[in-house]
Parts: sequence; C-alpha cells; structure tokens
Amino acid sequence: MRKTKGFWKRAMGMMVMAALLMTAGCAQSNTSSGSGSDKGNGGDSGGSVKIGFILSQTGTFAPLSEGIINGFQLYLEQHNGMLGGKKVEMKVEDDEANPQVALRKYRQLVHGEKADILVGPISSAVAYALRDEVEKDKKVLIDANAAGDDLSWSKKSDYVYRVSFSNWQNGSSTAKYLAEQVGKKAVILAPDYPAGKEVLRAFKVTFEAAGGKVLKEIYPKLNTNDFAPYLQQASAEKPDFIYAFFTGSDGIRFITQYKEFGLKGKIPLTGSLEFGDELLTQPTGEAAEGIIAGINYSPYLDNEQNKQFVEAYKEKYGKLPNIFAVQGYDSAAAIDQAINKAGSLNSQDLIKVLKGISLDSPRGKITIDPATHNPVQNFYISKNVLKDGAIVPQIMETVENVKMPEDSPF
Amino acid sequence: MSAILAQLLTGVAYGMLYFMIAAGLTIILGVMNVVNLAHGTLFMLGAYIAFTFINDELSFWISLLLAVFLTAVLGLVLEKWLIKPVYGKELEQVLLTFGLSFIIADTVEWIWGTEMHTLPTPDLLSGSLSIGSTEFPVYRLFVVLVGCLLAWLLWYLETKTRIGAIIRAGVDDRAMVSALGVNVGLVFTGVFAFGAALAGLSGVLGGPLIGMYTGMDNEILVTSLIVVVIGGLGSWKGSFIGAIAVGVIETFGKVWFPSLSMLIVFLIMMMVLIVRPQGLFGREVV
Repeated sequence: MRKTKGFWKRAMGMMVMAALLMTAGCAQSNTSSGSGSDKGNGGDSGGSVKIGFILSQTGTFAPLSEGIINGFQLYLEQHNGMLGGKKVEMKVEDDEANPQVALRKYRQLVHGEKADILVGPISSAVAYALRDEVEKDKKVLIDANAAGDDLSWSKKSDYVYRVSFSNWQNGSSTAKYLAEQVGKKAVILAPDYPAGKEVLRAFKVTFEAAGGKVLKEIYPKLNTNDFAPYLQQASAEKPDFIYAFFTGSDGIRFITQYKEFGLKGKIPLTGSLEFGDELLTQPTGEAAEGIIAGINYSPYLDNEQNKQFVEAYKEKYGKLPNIFAVQGYDSAAAIDQAINKAGSLNSQDLIKVLKGISLDSPRGKITIDPATHNPVQNFYISKNVLKDGAIVPQIMETVENVKMPEDSPF
Repeated sequence: MSAILAQLLTGVAYGMLYFMIAAGLTIILGVMNVVNLAHGTLFMLGAYIAFTFINDELSFWISLLLAVFLTAVLGLVLEKWLIKPVYGKELEQVLLTFGLSFIIADTVEWIWGTEMHTLPTPDLLSGSLSIGSTEFPVYRLFVVLVGCLLAWLLWYLETKTRIGAIIRAGVDDRAMVSALGVNVGLVFTGVFAFGAALAGLSGVLGGPLIGMYTGMDNEILVTSLIVVVIGGLGSWKGSFIGAIAVGVIETFGKVWFPSLSMLIVFLIMMMVLIVRPQGLFGREVV
C-alpha cells in the first residue's frame, strides 16, 4: 500500500489538467440552461396577434426583464387582453444576454412560432445581433430596453423602434448639471460592455464640454461580484464625485459596497437613471440615499397617467413600478396604437405609423423621433432622499425634451 | 500608499477565502489520495444553504453553523457511499467527483434558480475602518482573522494532537498505521467531512464578498486547484502561502490589467511548475 512517488507526479498533472479544463468549462457554463416560458392568453383564430419577447431572464439583467413583462401584462389586463383590437398571445424567450442564444431564440420565435411582432431585448449586444435579422426578415422589433446608440445612428433600421432611452441620453443628461453644481473632477465607472462604454463616452464628452475633467475611467467586467478593487482605485484619485452606470444585480452590489467601503457621505455618488430607479433604490434602501441621478421616470412623478399606472401596478404586483415596468407598458401601448393606426399586422404598414408615434406614457408624453427612432423625453436630475423608510427621488431640475443628435458626434 | 495597502488587504481577504477552500482540498488529497473535483460544488452549496436560512429570518451566525454542519454531513455521506468504493483508483475518483459536481450544480440551479444572489454582511461586522485615507470593511478583516485562526488550528491539529500524528503517519505509510490498530477508514471519513465543512465555511463567508451564481463552483475550484498546485500537493502550509499569493495577484491584476487578471494567475502557476515542479511546499518528486 505504500504510496509510490509516481502518484504525486500523476496527481500534480491531473490537478493542472483539471484546472485548465474547468476554465474552458467556465467559459461555456455561462451559456448553459434556461428555457423559455410560455405565457399564452389563449387567443382565438381570426383577430389575434402573436408577440415574441426576447429578454434576459438569467444573470444581472433578470430583474429588468421581469419589469418589462409585468408592465406589458398590466397594459394587456387593462385592455381586455387586446392590442389594436386583436387578442394577444405572448411568447417569452430567455436569451441569457448572449447574442448567439438570442439569434437561436429569434429564429424559433419568427420561423417556428410565426410571431407577428417582437419585443425586447435587454442587452445592446443582443440588439445589434437581432437588428440585422429583423431587417432581413422585415419584422418589427419594439426595443423595450437595449440602449445601444448605434441603433439610432449607423445601425438604424426601419424595423426597429425604441420606447426606452438611448445610452447617449442616459449618459449626457446629468453631465452639465454635475459640472456646474457638484464638481469639476470625476472618476467614472461602468461595466466593460457596449452599453457601459457608450454611457461613459456620452457623459465624458458632455462633462468635459461643460468644463469638467475625467480623472479616470474604470471598467469592471459585467456580472462583477466584488467592486472592492475598483472602489479603492476610484477613491484613491480623490475626485470631487464619482459617476457610475450599473444596472440589475451589478448596480445593487455597487451601491451596497459603496457604503460598506465608507465612501458614502465622503465622495458624492452620481449616476445614470438606474441609480434613481426603484429597481436599485428599493433593494439597497438607505445605502442609496444621497445619490444624484438623471432619471426619466419615478413612481412619484406628478401626472394623471402615472397616478393611475402606479395604483394599478401596486394592486397587481404589490410593489412600486420601476422604469423597466414603464418600458414594458409603453411597448404594449406603442403596438396597440400602431395596429390601430395601420389597421393591419403587416410590417410595411406598421413602420409607416411607428415613425413619430406619440405616447401618453406614465413618464409623461414621449415621441418616437422619426430621425433616430428614439423617444424624445424629459429627464429629471434628482437626489435620493429617505422618506418613511423608502428612497424617494427628489427632483432638483428638469431637462426638457432630451433628444438624440441625428448623427453620431463621436 | 494607503490605497495600495487597502488593495493588498483586499487581496489577502480573498486569499484567506481561497485558503479555506484549498486547505480542505489539499488535506483530502494528502491524506486520502483523492482529487475531489466536487469540492467547489460543496463551497457553492454552503453559500446557498446559508442563503436559504438567512431568508428564513435566521441570523447570519446560526445560518453559518447550520450550513457548515450540513455540508460536513453531506461530505460524510459522499465519502461513505461513493468515494469509498473507488479508493486507489485515481481515474474513477476523478470521473466520479467530476460527475458529482455537475449533478449537485444542476440541483442547485433547479432549487435556487439562475439569478445572482448575495449574502448580507452580518450587522455586527457591517462597518468600515479607516486605513490612512481609505476605508476598509470590517467584514473583510474578519475573513482574514478566520483564515489565520484556521491556519493556527491546522498547525495545532497536525503537530500537537494524536489525530494529527495518525494522519501524518498515515500519509507516509498507511499500512503501518492500520497495523497499529488505528481505524484508518474512520479517519478518512472524518478527514473528508472536515474538508467538506471547510468548503461550506468558505462558501458562507465568501457569500457577502463574491455572491452566488451558477458557475461559481467551477470558478472557485479552478482557483483552488491553482492554489494547491502552486503551494504543493497535500501541504496546507503551501495552500496558505499559495492562496494569499493568488488573492493578491488577482486583486492587483484587476486594478492594473483588468482583462488579464486570471491569465496572470495561470502564468504564475506555470512559472512555479517550471522552477519547482512539486510546488512551493510539495514533497520531492523524482
């Protein structure tokens, strides 16, 4: 039974091999699992419309997808399950935030299920991949979230219409205010993926035009668990404030850890609209207090449309809606109006009426700009304050009708 | 300067986490000659079990104890029913534990879903301390403390207790130890359960730092395999040094070369293998 020396050599070799194999395995494990769920409404023959959703229901984007579905379903419930006078059938697929998976699910929805109209996706990378396919198949895609700038510029498609917002709008809306009111030196952070780069690019250009200076740009990878090294790096620069863009679970962790590292109250934290949205402020609670963000929606916005929306949403889901719920709601509203106006489900008819369509959204009136297919909308510079145990964004300044430039300034 | 110190501390805290899991892996290997590729899965399971208890409104500490206990019990069951029949058969062991890791990982996905979760930091340790001009969370210092305590405990068990003497002797000459009337099978089971408990412990302590998500088991297993290879097989002292080195290198890698941090860790492993094929504290390989 005496152990031979060869054992250690073999074991050593096995360990190294295993380490290498597992790393290869890791890269793949991101794309495993997950299947679409069907949430059909029955749907009689004749006047029915099938809507295919491509969303990210796993990973950091999962909570965003949930909001979009909730909003969409609320709209349907308020309209007897009909859009444009047609019974609606929903088919929801999970793209796992992976363009390759998204393309597979897309083909399933369009060629297999024969979906009439598509809604989604969450990730810009997925949106860019889908864009070429819908162009080829001439399918209408209502972009319910993906904010990639080029969808309005070099990759604009006659078949893609955005009801959410663009990275350019999100990144630039607060920059001037921050340069004038908070400080001239900033460290900026975002996840290392297209949307992160685009939001920071828009922020930097606008901020520096207003006399500010970006000391450092930091890009942690998407789905980062621990922001410790990056937070320390940022605070070491001694900036006047930190500007960040993170969403979903990444955002929750970022805000929580900002407080854990004692940065809260020391270096002001400012950020994209997500930092003032229920999606992040509700789970982070007190840690989100004091953050300045440029929001385009809040359940506390004072307009009749919003009051009714919030009331109904609270009743159905037991919580306040966030911007993603509004985007789902507005996707349904846009499809409703487009079918009614076009009087058909034909893509060629739909795209004629989608250009310039106006919605009475809970966030206020928005208009799809025919030049960019991106909504013109108000942004509000807000500061999170703690009121009765809940974070409420207190609006300090309104930036009216933020509109994307027609051509890329970059 | 204090910024670098804070980064260093962050790296050491990760290192301690890696040490806790690698120590279990390397002790099981050293004592039983079993390469347990399901070790990372036990780490993951520990975190998810604690997550469930914490969601049931139990305190962090009670959840920690329950999770460590349950992973130890699972380790015990695995050793008794699955590992025991394949002692001495290396390839079978590797395939068995590898397959097991997939089964457990899929079960975790089935029970808890694919969303990312994080364990909350216990209230007692939620503040932060000033280190020069930067702040450092108390919780991470606590993780460093636990790592050091574990190292002390292992040293004590190995050099000062009868069980340590038996294990040391067993590593060198198993036939001799059983001839002396020691129930080697029982010792093995105990060691395996202890290793599993360490994996569970590091899973719970790592929950607030690195969160829980599908695929974390493989990620952590790779890191701990690297730690064990750098440190030398079967040596917990090697794991201690190797883990701190990997934690610190990874943290500074994230700061200076964000997209290359894992590659740098692999490069260090390769360098160690070239210079000292048996690892830093490994026994001589002829």
